[in-house]
Amino acid sequence: MSKVKVLVVDDEIEFATTLAERLNIRGFEATACFCTEDAIALIHAKDIPDVVLLDLKMPHMDGMEALEEIKKYNPTIEVIMLTGHGGGIPLIGAARQKHSPFDCIMKPADINDLTAKINQAMAKRQTAINKGEGE
Amino acid sequence: MIKKPGWIKRIFSDVEDYHKTMTSPERYRRFRRTLSLVMIAAFLIPLILTTMLSYYEYRSQMLANLRWNAESAKRTIETFLTELQTVLIYTANEHTYEELVDQNNLKKLYHRLKSHYPGVVDLGIIDHKGIQRAYAGPYELAGKNYSDRECFKAATVSKTFIGMVEMGYRKVPHFVIAVNFFSKNTGQNWVFRASIDATTLDKYIDKIGTGPLSDIFLVSRKGEPLLQSSSQLFGPPLSPYPFELPHNRIGITISEERGVWDYVVLKAVSYIEGTPWALVLLKHGYLYGKDWSFFKARLFFIVMISTILALFVILQITKLFVGRIFEADEKRESMMAEIEHTSKLASIGRLAAGIAHEINNPLAIISAKTGLIMDLLEISEDFKYKKKIGSEIHGTSNAVERCKVITHRLLGFARRMDVSLESISINNLMQEVLSFLDQEALYRGIHVDLELGDSLPVIESDRGQLQQIFLNLVNNAIDAVGKDGKVTIKTKMRDQNSIQIDVTDNGKGIPQNIISHIFEPFFTTKDSAEKKGTGLGLFITYGIIKKLGGHISVRSSVGVGTTFTVTLPIKINLSRRAHDVESESPGG
Repeated sequence: MSKVKVLVVDDEIEFATTLAERLNIRGFEATACFCTEDAIALIHAKDIPDVVLLDLKMPHMDGMEALEEIKKYNPTIEVIMLTGHGGGIPLIGAARQKHSPFDCIMKPADINDLTAKINQAMAKRQTAINKGEGE
Repeated sequence: MIKKPGWIKRIFSDVEDYHKTMTSPERYRRFRRTLSLVMIAAFLIPLILTTMLSYYEYRSQMLANLRWNAESAKRTIETFLTELQTVLIYTANEHTYEELVDQNNLKKLYHRLKSHYPGVVDLGIIDHKGIQRAYAGPYELAGKNYSDRECFKAATVSKTFIGMVEMGYRKVPHFVIAVNFFSKNTGQNWVFRASIDATTLDKYIDKIGTGPLSDIFLVSRKGEPLLQSSSQLFGPPLSPYPFELPHNRIGITISEERGVWDYVVLKAVSYIEGTPWALVLLKHGYLYGKDWSFFKARLFFIVMISTILALFVILQITKLFVGRIFEADEKRESMMAEIEHTSKLASIGRLAAGIAHEINNPLAIISAKTGLIMDLLEISEDFKYKKKIGSEIHGTSNAVERCKVITHRLLGFARRMDVSLESISINNLMQEVLSFLDQEALYRGIHVDLELGDSLPVIESDRGQLQQIFLNLVNNAIDAVGKDGKVTIKTKMRDQNSIQIDVTDNGKGIPQNIISHIFEPFFTTKDSAEKKGTGLGLFITYGIIKKLGGHISVRSSVGVGTTFTVTLPIKINLSRRAHDVESESPGG
């Protein structure tokens, strides 16, 4: 069974790289990316991740916009929002959003909780792929 | 706002000032005093002016009345004398001197005249030497010599003469009217003389009718003043008149006599032309049948009663008015203090959440880095300090975890603002809350007393958040008691639209100097060594209650205990709550 591909997107370089490294230690194939534009470019370059860990608040294009772009390109890619933002979660439910993230986790997150969520998201994506959605 | 004139501003400077500074009883006392004085002045000045005006109006009317009375009396006397003189002249012109010195003719004339004028005492014809040639009357005066008498001398000079009242030969008070004629037959002057009974004057004067309590009489103007007619005050004719006559001989002289009688007497004096008399009218200060002093006393009484009534009403009104202002100011101040407190807490909330957010990102990095180090340690081979490093990193990780609890609670506060409403029985909710804490209370020997109000309505609120509020408050109460004490939870209706929940403990109480800080974040009285409090419990409780449209207040006294009172609306006003969420949410 191939490794779950995880893309960590966060403008905090130290956070993104460290988290990617920790996920790699736990058997994921994690890549760090420091802005949403790069992340979308990467996905468009056919390097499709299974799960994207997306920081909510980022310069230029924020997490919510990036979520829309990613879902538009491939709806089976699951996105878990990471936020250091207390009021962030109710915002995600806003009506103007067409797509929802798989979940939203507050930073700093426990690594075991995070890996559990990634696996759940992966399972959801697998089901969607099996049903023939997207790709 | 209407611009007030400068003088009003100066008078009410106290009222202007108290808007700027805190209320103090002295300021209100001063304001009340100023207001009372201004109102009293505003009332008394017109009252006094009106009273004075009435007084002077009354007085001038009384004087005008007196003048009018004197003038009409003078006219009556003058008319009477002119009529008498005309009769004498007319009679004399109808006859010759020779006819009149005939005693029989004169007697006939006398009787005819007497039938028309009963006051005529006698008639006499005096020749150019002053000898009375003929006489008709009750006395024997024919042949009397009048050459040295004033009536003869004056009449020969000035054609007609009216004499002063005197006794003369007749020994009854009378006055003389004499008219001088020229006889063409004899070529000599002669005088036609009539004596008039002085009581005739009384009769004419009585007819004038100047009203009660007045005296009117004639006074001789030559020499020492003697009465020429009878006076109620000074007696019969020829009695002395005790006052001097005025020097002004034209018109009517009006003056006041004080100190002679118990009352003020108004005096009008008028000289009667062509006579040796002055008419005197004395009037006891009197008009319209009311006594002058009574008028003054009544005026004074009315002014006094009005003033006392006004003083009473003004003092009561100002007391009430200033009392109301004082209450309104107190209410305003306490409201301002509460608004200030609420907005302070909201600002602190926003600030705390902002800081939590800013700290959260570096905290996430530290957490990730320590996690990675622990991961790497786990997969690396054994080396000298591996265990030591592992233990240190674990310590760091624990510290990060503690920070995370705080930042997540603060940030979670914002998330908690998402209210989900349902119908809740507050009594059931309190019992649920207590079921969580029963064991703790039992263990500490604390008696928890539930005094639940009967038939409380079901309220619309967020069950989870209410549970959190009351868990927190009851937990705090148990902590405040410590061991072996009592916690009382009381529910009741507060008013038509809200219910009230009191959580009371008999613990150590909260000192006054810190009670205003207890709703601030990170403020705790719990011993930090016991790691019991983060200082966020009441801060979050306060925030939730506000979002639920409620209110929380605290009363405490050291050594007695503390009561937290929570008021919750029966129905939440959603629009107001939305506004509150916007303005008070600590945000993120």
